[in-house]
Amino acid sequence: MKRVWHLVKKELWQVTRDPNMLRVIFVVPMIQLLVLGYAITTDIKNLDILICDQDDSAVSRNLVERFSHNEYLTVKPLPCRAGQIEQHIFRGDVLLALVIPEHFGRDLENRESPEIQILLDGQNSNTTAVALGYCNRILLEFVRDNLAAAAGRNPRLARSIRFIEPVSRTWYNPELKSVYYMIPGIISILLTIITMLLTGLAIVKEREIGTLDQLLVTPLSSWQIIAGKTIPFAFLGFLEMGFAMTFGVLWFKVPIVGSLPLLAVLAAVFILTTLGLGIFVSTMVDTQQQALFMAWFFLVSFVLLSGFFYPIENMPGWVQVITYINPLRYFIEILRELFLKGAGLSVLWPELLSLLTIGVSIFTLATVRFARRAAA
Amino acid sequence: MIKSLFIHLAVKEFIHIRRDPRSLLILLLMPLFMMFVFGYAINMDLKHIRLGVCDLNRTPVSRDLIQTLVASPYFDVIQRFDDPRLTEGLFRQRLVRAAVIIPADFARRLAGSQGATIGVITDGTDANSATLTQNYLESLFLSRSLSGDGMGLPIHIKTRIFYNPDMESAHFVVPGIVALLLIMIGALLTSVTIAREKETGTMEQILVSPIRPYEVILGKALPYLVLAFAIAVFIIVFGHLWFAVPMLGSWTWLMLFCLLYLFTALTIGLLISTLVSTQQVAMMLSLVATLLPSVMLSGFIFPIASMPRPLQVVSQIIPATHFLKIIRGIMLKGNGPLELWPSIAALTAVGLFFITLAIWRFQLKLK
Repeated sequence: MKRVWHLVKKELWQVTRDPNMLRVIFVVPMIQLLVLGYAITTDIKNLDILICDQDDSAVSRNLVERFSHNEYLTVKPLPCRAGQIEQHIFRGDVLLALVIPEHFGRDLENRESPEIQILLDGQNSNTTAVALGYCNRILLEFVRDNLAAAAGRNPRLARSIRFIEPVSRTWYNPELKSVYYMIPGIISILLTIITMLLTGLAIVKEREIGTLDQLLVTPLSSWQIIAGKTIPFAFLGFLEMGFAMTFGVLWFKVPIVGSLPLLAVLAAVFILTTLGLGIFVSTMVDTQQQALFMAWFFLVSFVLLSGFFYPIENMPGWVQVITYINPLRYFIEILRELFLKGAGLSVLWPELLSLLTIGVSIFTLATVRFARRAAA
Repeated sequence: MIKSLFIHLAVKEFIHIRRDPRSLLILLLMPLFMMFVFGYAINMDLKHIRLGVCDLNRTPVSRDLIQTLVASPYFDVIQRFDDPRLTEGLFRQRLVRAAVIIPADFARRLAGSQGATIGVITDGTDANSATLTQNYLESLFLSRSLSGDGMGLPIHIKTRIFYNPDMESAHFVVPGIVALLLIMIGALLTSVTIAREKETGTMEQILVSPIRPYEVILGKALPYLVLAFAIAVFIIVFGHLWFAVPMLGSWTWLMLFCLLYLFTALTIGLLISTLVSTQQVAMMLSLVATLLPSVMLSGFIFPIASMPRPLQVVSQIIPATHFLKIIRGIMLKGNGPLELWPSIAALTAVGLFFITLAIWRFQLKLK
């Protein structure tokens, strides 16, 4: 035990000796939290729209007015003679255009179903779909109010309209603040970088400069060397997490409803998986550069397949299967549920079980490989 | 004489790369694999949202409404329940993402002139999905209330979508992945290479030779520029062939701007290498500095227009922001330099900014 402790002390000293490293571990992530916490707003807004009102009647102006007052769309005053609309979209001046035809007001009054045209730039399919949703929403509300006004004058029409008014509420995050959702995600990514990459690099570096061989000829067992290489980074990881969480709670007012001791236990299990991966990577490579590429590969794959940015439900089946071995997937879910809903073990046990299985397997595999490589 | 020194340095670097076939293989295969998986995986449209429905009305009218939800591709009605108090439990157990509650007087009030209300509850844990879900549901109810009873909507909405009429996510995502992978590979490769020279002490040997600082930098950067460019061509062609991402613009321009983009990626790597002294720190810094900003601030997924003003400014110094406009413009719209010049100018400026900073830091170190 004492031997392990010496190794841990040495490793911690080595990492903290370099002020640059400390900055990278603690200052840079805080800047990122600060910036990225604001970056992603759930609402897709300020989308540029061009409106061609070819009717220019009281009715059509009322419709244009509704678009101008919409907080999600920004009406751009651009000329829109024939052929120019496509040009504006091609050049990226606007994302979408709405064409109100001539005699729109008159046709609507006579129930002749005037045709409104919406032209969209489909490059970003997601934004396009959302923008189309906004337009439809405004048009529907316009029609509803228009009908309601008409129904006031015509009782027969009034009987045939059936209004459904949705009353929406959101639980756990009533204001739909995306920060509440981003902070846990960013914390887990930072934790992965520190524990996986640093562990892997620390081992490979010793191998590169030959000091690992020196360690191996000492009476230390493989297990002790691994403990000495992982405990310091687990410690740093915890420190970082505490740091980032405090920051999130104090600055962004992220609520933590759930139990902190439970969070600590779950984080420890998560760190087991990333440390195991770090050691595993180190046994696969010869140089720090190779270790970096492998760690990079795991990191980017974990992040993009974690459900942090894209819902996992939408991925094709075989990709969903891959996500089952992604520890980050479970940890992000744990953080969100625990932070916002206060979920306990009764709900989170499947995640815990999955993480434990992954962690124990990868750690065992990595240790065995490490020992075999050391013996060779 | 001096020119040949610079070439020697580049050749030496090439030999370094070639001597390490495993790294080379990793560098070529990993981006390919990532492109393959992410091209399928990244899909922002939310479909099959797990929905719970609590029907307190139990009339043909309410059942008819539920049928609309069942038929919608956006929702999977997986829970029917009779007591609204059960909603909480469903959310806690993560069985549903949203719940619709049809009140007991739904049918009666719907027939009246006031209109009926309907409850929509979403789980805000994932704020993005919650917003989308809420919008879907509200629009669905709104359009149903206007088109019910065979009346049809009193206006006809005709939609035309340009450049990606089938709304294929992959067409948007593949260029994004190219941008993300290139900046990371470029910055990582360069920063680590120079940090390695520093770590092993060979940097000093190079510096005492008659070679000039900018030649050292160029000599180190050039081989990686070539390597990263090969990766770029590789994954763009793959994305084009496999995911059928259209290529409406000119290959030549795209390749040229790819080089420009890689150049800025390398300048970031150079700058990082002047700030650190070990490979470890160089790697950490490159990863942290490129991964999240390139994903979150560049318009890779989230439109820049929606970000708060100060962040829109920040997004301008991220090279991926500009390259994304260029590559998507060329591939999907067939844009040329005529339309893209603001992004091209910005990307060049960002590159020049970083290289100036790097050279300045480098000379500072020498003194």
